[in-house]
Amino acid sequence: MKSANQPLLSLKGITKRFGALTAVNGVDLDVCPGEIVVIIGPSGSGKSTLLRSVNFLEEIEEGTITFEGKEVGYVKNKHGRRHLDTPQKICALRSEIGMVFQHFNLFPHMTVLGNVMEGPLTVQKKGQEEARHIALDMLAKVGLSEKRDVYPATLSGGQKQRVAIARALAMRPKLMLFDEPTSALDPELIGEVFDTIRALGKEGMTMIIVTHQMGFAKEMADRVIFMEAGSFVAQGTPEDFFANQMEHDRIQSFLSRIL
Amino acid sequence: MKVLCGRVIRTILLFSCLLLLLAPLSRAEDTEQIFQDANDAMARGDLPAAITVLKKVPFSKTDDSGAFVRSRMQVARLQFALKDFPAATASTKEVLAVYPDNSEALNFLASVQKEQKPRYVVFWEDCLRFLPNLLKGAVMTITLVFCTMLISPLGGLLIALGRISRFKPFSVLCWFIIWLFRGTPLLLQLFFIYYGLPSLGITFKPFTAAILGLGLNYSAYLGEIIRGGIQSIEHGQMEAAKAIGMSYGQAMRRVIIPQTYKRLMPPIGNEFIALIKDTALVSTIAMVELMRSADQMFNAYFNVTALILAALIYLVFTTFFTFIFEKIEHRAGIYEIR
Repeated sequence: MKSANQPLLSLKGITKRFGALTAVNGVDLDVCPGEIVVIIGPSGSGKSTLLRSVNFLEEIEEGTITFEGKEVGYVKNKHGRRHLDTPQKICALRSEIGMVFQHFNLFPHMTVLGNVMEGPLTVQKKGQEEARHIALDMLAKVGLSEKRDVYPATLSGGQKQRVAIARALAMRPKLMLFDEPTSALDPELIGEVFDTIRALGKEGMTMIIVTHQMGFAKEMADRVIFMEAGSFVAQGTPEDFFANQMEHDRIQSFLSRIL
Repeated sequence: MKVLCGRVIRTILLFSCLLLLLAPLSRAEDTEQIFQDANDAMARGDLPAAITVLKKVPFSKTDDSGAFVRSRMQVARLQFALKDFPAATASTKEVLAVYPDNSEALNFLASVQKEQKPRYVVFWEDCLRFLPNLLKGAVMTITLVFCTMLISPLGGLLIALGRISRFKPFSVLCWFIIWLFRGTPLLLQLFFIYYGLPSLGITFKPFTAAILGLGLNYSAYLGEIIRGGIQSIEHGQMEAAKAIGMSYGQAMRRVIIPQTYKRLMPPIGNEFIALIKDTALVSTIAMVELMRSADQMFNAYFNVTALILAALIYLVFTTFFTFIFEKIEHRAGIYEIR
């Protein structure tokens, strides 16, 4: 871990159920500022659900989310039942946590620049000029300045994902969540997206990344977590994880399937 | 002998009296016989013969039985059927010489004159006669269409958002509005608003009632179309909008609804084309618009040109709107072009 002070994000006993199915089952996780956490595991193991819970796109049944030392996101009503906090508070929290999706989810009716400007403009209520300035900075960071005036339909998958990263970064988030950012990409396009994420890591961005790319986990992660059936089965530094945890039956069978 | 002579004279006198009495009767019989002969001739298809026979009905200044007028008009019609227009005109004028106010003769003379003109001249004259009124009606039709086109998308959007709202009373209310206004005939709704509501103490002017009826009905239809459009936008768009911190309202306004425009244009265009024609229904609640004007002209002159012209005006409107909507659809989807 790069930092030993107070965790930026602290999850305690996160549990999310879909009817009879428990997708996430009492997960605890502390993420320190600047730390890069990579979560791997078979599909349906609850990785994405956990990530989405952090951004309140899923409402959890149990557990607490502590962000920057404050428990956030859920309040109890007068009957003692917990529910999501007011939309204003949730929106404010989300604007501090960036998220990148598997399918990019760019806004197709806006230009590349428009996509990246949208957060500062609409959510942070910044002026046109300032929002444009921020957006151009972020596009430069992901190396797509020359594409600013085209619509997303004209971009390749890798370019789309880099724009999506720029869009999230334009909000100046304190934490970035990546939900399988390369799973929808052709193999030759994966590299450019990881280069972008790698550059972010070098700048000290705190990140939680769900991925199937073991090479990337090995190279970038401060910590690798193996998740299965809603729980963390094993975790450790990449060296420790790929050297010692490999004997874990479940991990072995998973890795042998995807490598 | 004397007695015999007296008898004979008496008998002769009696007969001559009888003959005098029967004379008019026999003449009437003659006339009937003439018409009968004419009918036979017509039945044989020998129209010139029929004309010759009918002309035997003598000229009369005091035409009590109407036989003279009847015969000459019949002659005129037969001559008309034989396309001998000058002769038909002459026969009709024979009648008018005696009875200058005879409406049958006057009308017939008009149609003979009309028949002598080329078709396109007649049509052009009819156009000039009907167009001013029809165009006045068309202005009202367009006013109704534009007002409804302004109201119904807004009403439809409200209903659509209500239907997908998690706030139960609102969504149930919107469901109810759709159920009611899609489930009953527009004609009935207009009748209810204009003729029914006054009995509950609510009275509208015809124009207000028409706009209210059309607006509510089309809002209900557009509501379902817009809801479909919103729900057809991929779920990830809403999540992405939320992930950068947008509220539900911001996400709808900035991300979701703008993406529905292109998809909504074809069905909404369809609805608006239907609307142009549905405005004809408000003619039943004392509104004078294109359909009502055409109907009035048609009834006054029994001339089908009025209806043809109205159809042409409707076609001009629908063609214009079809064209406009195609343009808008193209514009709205410009970002999808790779």
